Amino acid sequence: MIAETMALTFRALKKWIRNPAAVLPGLFTSIFYLALFGSSFNPANLIPSGFSSTQISQTFGGAPTYITYLTAGVICLILVFNMAFGGIDLVLDRQLGFLNTVLTAPIPRAAIFFSGVAQNLVKVMFLAFLTFLIALVIPNGLVLPAGFGVLNLIGVFGSFALLGLGLSCVFTALALSVRSIDSLVAIVNFLTLPLIFMSDALFPSSSFPDWLKTIANVNPITKADEAARLLIVNGNLTSSQLSTFANDVLYLVGVVAILTIIGYFAAEKALSAQ
Amino acid sequence: MTKIIEADHLTKIYKGKVKAVDDISFAVDEGEIFGFLGPNGAGKTTTIKMLDTLATITSGKAFVAGHDVHREPGAVRDSIGVVPQELTADDELSGMENIVLAANLHHVQGSEARRRSAELLKLVDLEDAAGRKVRTFSGGMRRRLQLAMGLVHMPKVLFLDEPTLGLDIQTRKKMWDYIGRLNKERGLTVFMTTHYLEEADSLCNRIAIIDKGVIKLSGSPAELKQKLGGDILTLELAETPVDLTEFFKGIPDVSDVTRTGQVYRIKLPRTEKALPIIVEGVVRKNIEIKEISFTKPTLDQVFLEITGKSMRDEDASESDSVFQNFIMERATS
Ligand SMILES: Nc1ncnc2c1ncn2[C@@H]1O[C@H](COP(=O)(O)OP(=O)(O)O)[C@@H](O)[C@H]1O
Ligand SMILES: [Mg+2]
Repeated sequence: MIAETMALTFRALKKWIRNPAAVLPGLFTSIFYLALFGSSFNPANLIPSGFSSTQISQTFGGAPTYITYLTAGVICLILVFNMAFGGIDLVLDRQLGFLNTVLTAPIPRAAIFFSGVAQNLVKVMFLAFLTFLIALVIPNGLVLPAGFGVLNLIGVFGSFALLGLGLSCVFTALALSVRSIDSLVAIVNFLTLPLIFMSDALFPSSSFPDWLKTIANVNPITKADEAARLLIVNGNLTSSQLSTFANDVLYLVGVVAILTIIGYFAAEKALSAQ
Repeated sequence: MTKIIEADHLTKIYKGKVKAVDDISFAVDEGEIFGFLGPNGAGKTTTIKMLDTLATITSGKAFVAGHDVHREPGAVRDSIGVVPQELTADDELSGMENIVLAANLHHVQGSEARRRSAELLKLVDLEDAAGRKVRTFSGGMRRRLQLAMGLVHMPKVLFLDEPTLGLDIQTRKKMWDYIGRLNKERGLTVFMTTHYLEEADSLCNRIAIIDKGVIKLSGSPAELKQKLGGDILTLELAETPVDLTEFFKGIPDVSDVTRTGQVYRIKLPRTEKALPIIVEGVVRKNIEIKEISFTKPTLDQVFLEITGKSMRDEDASESDSVFQNFIMERATS
């Protein structure tokens, strides 16, 4: 089971690495959101007199710049959007007959699902990391707090990975279930934007109306975003921040567990003989 | 003889509407090459998909290598190799990488996977191209790679769906060669589909002709041709008063003789066997042979006889040409 999952995952990743252009759309999204959206739509500049640096800090959870606030959110957005591209590869595998050759092989159907989850996760995490680097290098960009270390970095990307894993389960099961790229794109469009906008990713939910706040509070994107942002903005956490972080991570683990089970059964059904 | 594939009143109805396979029964013996012959849309691929666990069986039963396809799909998958009609090898991977992946998916790992892959690539004459991306392969090379990929775990039964579709005649003959050798040297049982009679004729021990989901006729190639009356040998002799009609009729296997002037048309199941006797007989009688030729029954003729329509009309069907174009695009891009 593990050997087959790895064989299928490596095949997909080999194809991906040999086609560097495939990461470009994702990369452009990052750049547009950070460099264009983040810089042009900087709420700090919306008021003619400008915000004072304390006001910025207050509004954006202590972040010294809007992009520092925004980076975690943009990375969440990158995770969500690029799951769709990974899904397209899975639909193509079905359309070109590759999936059938895998299905006639004596391997557990779970290996097909988990390799889909793994390949999508690796692809989007790579983009997430690139986005983080872009945020660091652009002018007026991401400013990390003093003392931000490897453990913090692991915490940040661990939170993203949990969100990515949950999303990957959903989108892999979806991609294995549909028969055409068109229907995948339709469903993805229907899912992704509300998922993003009903979260903390782009703006603090404190500015939301109550009903939206309620939804945003249970949205796993908000949790991953909050956990990662706490570390990005503060570096070393106070004990109350640490408990928020721990709650977010636990919440995400729970979501991942549920989505893995649902995704697995949905994929199993989608892969059964027709 | 052990039956390695058994189909018992198999029916497949897609989504409650299209009846693709309609109550077919047949058996394939171990070590046999069994050919499923029929035009596009006849139900050949659907039959393979029911046997290789890809499609559910609407009604009836099927056994492959002693396992019930419906109840023990895992055991069936363990014993079969499948070479699909589509070219599924990955463009971005090399020939070697593709076949090693196929091995890995069949519990053959590590150096053993590489060893067998290299051996099979050699068998299909792809050892020089092994490191090249499949993107650069011709259509024939892709088909050969696909064949090797289906064999890397040494299956008991190999399903070949239109193994020569879209290939020119030389490349096609080469494929027949490989398949024939695998069958003879390794005792591999082959279940193959095709819509070329020459292919079925030169490769298969037995053939079933399927049309519109129904098996119309089955038997060895010789038997099928016999049902049609076999080959027609045309002999033109130099002017002579002797009537050879009765002489020809007396030769074993000859089923019918007609004479027009000095031209004799002799119907017989296989020209190769009777030809020396016929020629020798004529020469002994000191009669000069001016011209000799023979025609073999074509799938068209068999088909025309059985279904009342020509196979060539079917050949030009839209789905086929779309698929051919697709293959050509992949092969030439
Ligand atoms: N997935 C499917 N859904 C509905 N109809 C199908 C499907 N696959 C094949 N068919 C139909 O079943 C019939 C037999 O198809 P197929 O088995 O592919 O024929 P062949 O391989 O002999 O060309 C055709 O009429 C085809 O259109
Ligand atoms: Mg077919």
